[in-house]
Amino acid sequence: MKKKVGFPRALLYYKHSVLWTTFFEELGAEVVVSPKTDKRIKELGISTAPDEDCYSTKLYFGHVLVLKDKVDYLFIPRLGSDHELNVGCPKFIALAEVLKSIFPDLPEIIMPYFSMAKSGHGKRRLIEIILSIGIKFTYNPFKILRASKRAFSAYKEHQNELIISEEKLLMWENSEISLNDTPILEDGKEPLKIALIGHPYVFNDELSSLNIRKMLQLYGVDIITSEQMPKSLIEKQMEKLDYNMYFNYSREHLGTVMYFLESKTVDGILQLIIFSCGPDSIIGEMSARYFRRNPEIPLLQLVLDELSSETGLKTRIEAFLDMIERRKQTKRSEEDCHLHSPISVH
Amino acid sequence: MSFTFPYFGSLTHVFEVVMRGVGKQDIMLPKKPSKKTAELGSRHSPEFICTPFKITLGTFIEMLEEGAYELGIGGCHSWCRFGYYWPVQKLILEDLGYDFKFIILDYLRPSLLLNTLRKEVGNCSLMHAIRAFQVGWIKNRYTDLVDNLLYKYRAIELEKGLSEKIADKAFREIVETKGLRNIRKLRKKIPELFEKNIDVEKNTNPLKIGICGELYVVFEHSLNLDIHKKLNKLGIIVKNTVSLRSYLDIGQKINPFNRSPYKKAVKTAKPYIENKIGGETLENVGDIILYKKKGWDGMIHLYPFTCMPEIVTRSLVPQISRDHDMPVLSLVLDEHTGEVGLQTRIEAFADMLKIRKERN
Repeated sequence: MKKKVGFPRALLYYKHSVLWTTFFEELGAEVVVSPKTDKRIKELGISTAPDEDCYSTKLYFGHVLVLKDKVDYLFIPRLGSDHELNVGCPKFIALAEVLKSIFPDLPEIIMPYFSMAKSGHGKRRLIEIILSIGIKFTYNPFKILRASKRAFSAYKEHQNELIISEEKLLMWENSEISLNDTPILEDGKEPLKIALIGHPYVFNDELSSLNIRKMLQLYGVDIITSEQMPKSLIEKQMEKLDYNMYFNYSREHLGTVMYFLESKTVDGILQLIIFSCGPDSIIGEMSARYFRRNPEIPLLQLVLDELSSETGLKTRIEAFLDMIERRKQTKRSEEDCHLHSPISVH
Repeated sequence: MSFTFPYFGSLTHVFEVVMRGVGKQDIMLPKKPSKKTAELGSRHSPEFICTPFKITLGTFIEMLEEGAYELGIGGCHSWCRFGYYWPVQKLILEDLGYDFKFIILDYLRPSLLLNTLRKEVGNCSLMHAIRAFQVGWIKNRYTDLVDNLLYKYRAIELEKGLSEKIADKAFREIVETKGLRNIRKLRKKIPELFEKNIDVEKNTNPLKIGICGELYVVFEHSLNLDIHKKLNKLGIIVKNTVSLRSYLDIGQKINPFNRSPYKKAVKTAKPYIENKIGGETLENVGDIILYKKKGWDGMIHLYPFTCMPEIVTRSLVPQISRDHDMPVLSLVLDEHTGEVGLQTRIEAFADMLKIRKERN
């Protein structure tokens, strides 16, 4: 019988799902992913997780509890950082240990620790981790290494597909292609362009983002998400700062905001902030302050938590889109006036 | 150019010593934060940032109003948000229209710290800066000593208020003493000062509680509402288990004959949490277990609202407390914490410990 490995569908799963699933499937394990977040999972998470954790972490608790009786292993990596200098979120490192201590009856947790920044982990550590996980499923080291190789190449391919190149971004900016679901439009209308900023585990999770992607699609909005942005552009923006953004995931967010504030190629920026997320509190304030210094592209910041309602969100987004539409119209009519106004010659 | 830095409990004296040591003359000592400082800070701060940010921002605004120009603040590259304090505060203060300059002291990277001390704060040679830094960490040992003696003697003193006066005197002496040889003499001098001058109740068996948690909350009395004094008034001896020395005391770190208590705590924390996640999580988890072994009656864990690393400690505390039969009270503090509410919770905790002790 195949051994079952459970992945909670929350937090880092949205970033590394391809890598993990390929690896475990190649090893000969059966991968069980928890179902998409629903009301039951949310209730479970909120009632069991520590009060002060962020909303996404609370959902993670719910996913773990749903999975725990169905699997032999739970896979909860302790990822400290995947960059030489910059770090991730401290709660990701402690997640497995906190879960283990709160629920002693969980199945065995596979929790490799990997941190490039503070512990200086590199390739050697990675191979150690791969072998120590693999030995639980097969005694054939070649099979383990082959599985990891395939997993990494699949992950790379996925990343290449997800993260667009600068040329592609330019094409999107010129409305030649659309990157996500094609917006549903009335005839003759041009889609609005909006950059959606946030953690991938927020806007890809239908419940915690209140299905915002679908909502925007129905409103006829063409979106680009912060996880799709070319890394080179983000690094260029980060170099302009007089300090180092050392939260690795937040670089993406602030970099995207700064890029679009500067290039002015979108009609609006929509930032999703998760309630009581530590890095988000910093990035939210920074983007708001940078926006106020260069207030040409409208910025809407939405704080999401377990009490956010879809109607409230809808109202705010509708108002935001209307505002953008009106701005566009005034701009257009101003330009028209300018064109048709008689030019006085002195 | 007036230089100032945030108020940080008894560590304020240490910072002053280091700055004066590298030859900075024009130092404006920060005012003790008040309710107004916290209000001023939180008015301009992001919504759910941790509380130390708000209080330090409030202090900076107050000091800038009084004419300070250079603002010294710590920086780091860790899992904590502390390293972002100055970039965000810079944006906020710029928007408020102040003229200032931040000087960042990266306490996790000593070489960088020394360079900043040497070039930006003062203007001195590297040897001079190292010496000033060394004097700083040695004096930090004695400020911690005074703190812990005060928290002990204040609980059992006969003449109320005397030990605070003695502590003030001791702090002044620490700041003013010059020369390493004289400074080292303080190790004997300070306990003597307390012992000779203060009459204590004998034949009592007071409760002993350790105070762990996030560094700033433990040291800054305006944020923790002077919890040490409240406990002392109930006749309880308290002790801080965390200290800035776990970062700065390089003398102790490189001394092979001296085992640092922080390293020991980190080792003890292994069964619960293995890896460093910023803040004082590992030390706190370990200390709860170690202080039980030392025979202390209880532990109070303090942390500011939304502190990321300490929330992890908070999630682990109930299990550790159960496993090791050690009563732990976790208190989250922010600028809205009410004095009476805190008092009630402390008294209830103290009563519980008393009953426990009598039963055993």
